[in-house]
Formats: sequence, structure tokens, C-alpha cells
Amino acid sequence: MRSPLVAPFAFGLIAVAAQLPAQTATAPTFAPPVKLMAGAKGLGENRLFPSPVLHDMNGDGLADLVVGDLRGRLTVALRQRGTGVPTFAAETKVLANDGAELDFANW
Amino acid sequence: MSPQFVDFDADGDLDLVAGTFDGSPHLARREGNGWRQPEQILDAEGVRITLGEFWDHDAKKWSKTTRGDVPGEPPATGHATSAIAFDDDGDGDLDLLLGDHKSGHVYRRENRGTAAAPKFALGNQRVLGGDAPIDVPGTVATLRLVDFDRDGRVDLLLSSMGDAYSDKAGGGVFWCRNVGEGKQARFGPLQTLVPISTKGAEAANRPDSGLYAEAGDADGDGDLDLFVGGYSHWQPEGKVLNEAEQQRVQAIQKETADLQQELQRLNTEAQKASAGVADEAEAGKRYTEAYKAQKKERDQNRERMQKLTEELGTLVPAAQRRSFVWFYENTTPRTR
Repeated sequence: MRSPLVAPFAFGLIAVAAQLPAQTATAPTFAPPVKLMAGAKGLGENRLFPSPVLHDMNGDGLADLVVGDLRGRLTVALRQRGTGVPTFAAETKVLANDGAELDFANW
Repeated sequence: MSPQFVDFDADGDLDLVAGTFDGSPHLARREGNGWRQPEQILDAEGVRITLGEFWDHDAKKWSKTTRGDVPGEPPATGHATSAIAFDDDGDGDLDLLLGDHKSGHVYRRENRGTAAAPKFALGNQRVLGGDAPIDVPGTVATLRLVDFDRDGRVDLLLSSMGDAYSDKAGGGVFWCRNVGEGKQARFGPLQTLVPISTKGAEAANRPDSGLYAEAGDADGDGDLDLFVGGYSHWQPEGKVLNEAEQQRVQAIQKETADLQQELQRLNTEAQKASAGVADEAEAGKRYTEAYKAQKKERDQNRERMQKLTEELGTLVPAAQRRSFVWFYENTTPRTR
């Protein structure tokens, strides 16, 4: 079985993470949130219940953001290289092997 | 929905598993350079996996079932809109965890088959967080697997819906540390990562409801940041109103309430036209006829309501609600 940890560490940081000392068991803290952009538009903006997941879709070593929604459709916003708040290219639809939009059967 | 990239069928590539709004987990198998169209994940008897409620695709209606209830446990009456595959018992195959959109509970379906040929248990077993069943405030929107504390054990990340449509409390992001010592995962009590939103901001400054969280190291600093989809609810700051304007706002609100009441009266009247008619088609026909007969009154009502809404917007800006995806940078100090 492949470890479910592979996807979140798609930056090739598995080795790096393994060398880091264990953090304390207290909950992590986070900076105030920043709205993400995909191209010139807000990432996932106006989608029905956008649900992001990280995955390297184009094999460039960077984790892209795949965004599902209530209707069971997916888009991908490819991660762009850079530092600071991550930036992404414009979202495109995720297609299935049959060429149609990947469609998680819904009600 | 809650997409997860995972090798569900143990063939060495990453499939897509997702709980969806129909109440069942689905699987899109990786094949060649892409994915096949999704299929439902079935239990050991070939029946789709659900909690108590699901969308019946054949009958085209919402249905209920007690099939997954477990003797000695409260019935799992909820609606599973999120699912993740996870080797919960460390036996080398993937079990399923289901998140309940109607409560804060998480349920387990054990895989009693193998990694390549799963056989999922028929019953929904509650997952504990500490000594009590996990109970996420605001009901479960999604589940994720992350090793936040880097102890080599996969923890559970959970995020919640909250009230996505009005001004009641929103959702948050939570974490249950895996404190198991053997192969079996054992989750500690729920800890808050992003507090439940109380809303009321004047600008979109966070996801307030319908929170769908994911974690990953976005900035390469070795810790896990959060990506959170969700709805922001905000009330833009209005101008200071003089007395005449305040009175006008009150008058608009009164007239709007009257118009809503009038609309309610029309609805009741249309329903009365079909009351007591046993034949469904005939009842539908009578309702439609009664509805059409109200066209003039409904049009007038709609036009007036629209004008009032526009006028109110010039005095008191309307509340806003829009979905975005947000980035939360992890700022936890390192312990070295």
C-alpha cells in the first residue's frame, strides 16, 4: 500500500520532513488567512462549496490545487514557482479518460 | 465532495476517492494517464455504502435506510458527504472513514478483505476522539489525513459546515491527534486549528461557513499550512443615516415583510387547489393552474420587492456571501 502521506508532501519534502525534530503535541498556530488567486480570478471563487486537495497533476514537482465542488466536478489550478503566498494558474476542468468532465455521480 | 488521491486498489497508482452529496463514497480508478469515470464504493454484499440518508438515483428521490446501524450503538441517521480511505487498523488494507454532514460524527467501515480486493463491513461504527465519539461543532464537511505533529502517525484533520446560509454560527477546522501506540489508530480529543466563525465582519476576511480544509507544505519551510475552501459572509459598512433615512429603512422593511406575507398567502392558496386530490398528476395540474392564475399578483409582488431591495441597498448595503479558497500559513514556532 502506498502511504497516504505521499500526496501532501508532493514537493519532494518527504526527506526534509523526516529530518525535522518532532513538534510538540500542542495544536499548530496559523497566520490570518489570505485569499488565493488562480490566474486573474479568485481560486474556487463562486464555486458551490469548493473543496481543495493538493496533488501534483503535471509532474513538475509542485503540488497543484485540485478543487471539487458540491456537484461532484473538479478543476485544477497549477501551482506556479515562487516564494510567499502560493500562486496558481487559471483553473481548468479535470477530465476523465473518456474525454468528458470527471463527474462524481451526484443527486 | 471531498476528493482524496490515494491508491485505493493497491495497483501502484493514485486513484480518486470522494464522498459526494448523494451520501456515498465514490472511486475514480487511475488508468493509464487519467482516471475512469467514478463508480460507487460497495460493501461486502455489493450494496452502496451510506449512513442513514442517501439520494436514490433510480427512484430520483432522497431515501432512508437502517442497513448500516450497528446493534448497541445509536443509529447512524446522518448523511455521509465526505469519505477518506485510511488503513485505520494497520492491517495493510484501506478502511473507510465517513463524515456526517448532519451531525459532527465520523464513522468507520472496516475493510475485512484485502488491499486489492476490499470487502467493507456492513455497519457504521462511530470513531472516537478521546473517550467519546468525535463530535465536530457545525457538522462534518470534510476529513483529511495529515501527520501534523510528525510523530510518524497519521492524524485526522476535520472541518465543519456551520450555517452556510444565514447569520448563525459558521464552521471551523479541527485536528484529532493519533495517539495510538500499536497498529490501530486511536484519536485524541478534538483540538481547534481555526475557530468556529461568529461572522459579522465588514469584509471577506476568512472562510465563515462550509469549510473544506486541506493541509500541505506550501512554502517549503517544513511545516504544514492549511488550504481552506468555504463561504465568506460579510456585511459591508453602511453610511450614517439621518432620521428621515432611518424612517425610510423601517418603512421599507415593513413593506417587505407585508409583501412576503402576501406571497405566503398566494402559496397557501395555490396549495389548497390541490388539497385532498389523491391522483398525483391531477393534483399537480390543479396546483399549476392555480399558480398560473396568480400571475398578475405574483409579478406585481416581485417587481415591488425588487424596487424595495434596490432602494434599501442604497441606504443599508446588502449582506454578502461568496465562496473562495484561503491560505493559512503555519506559524507554529519550531521546537529544537
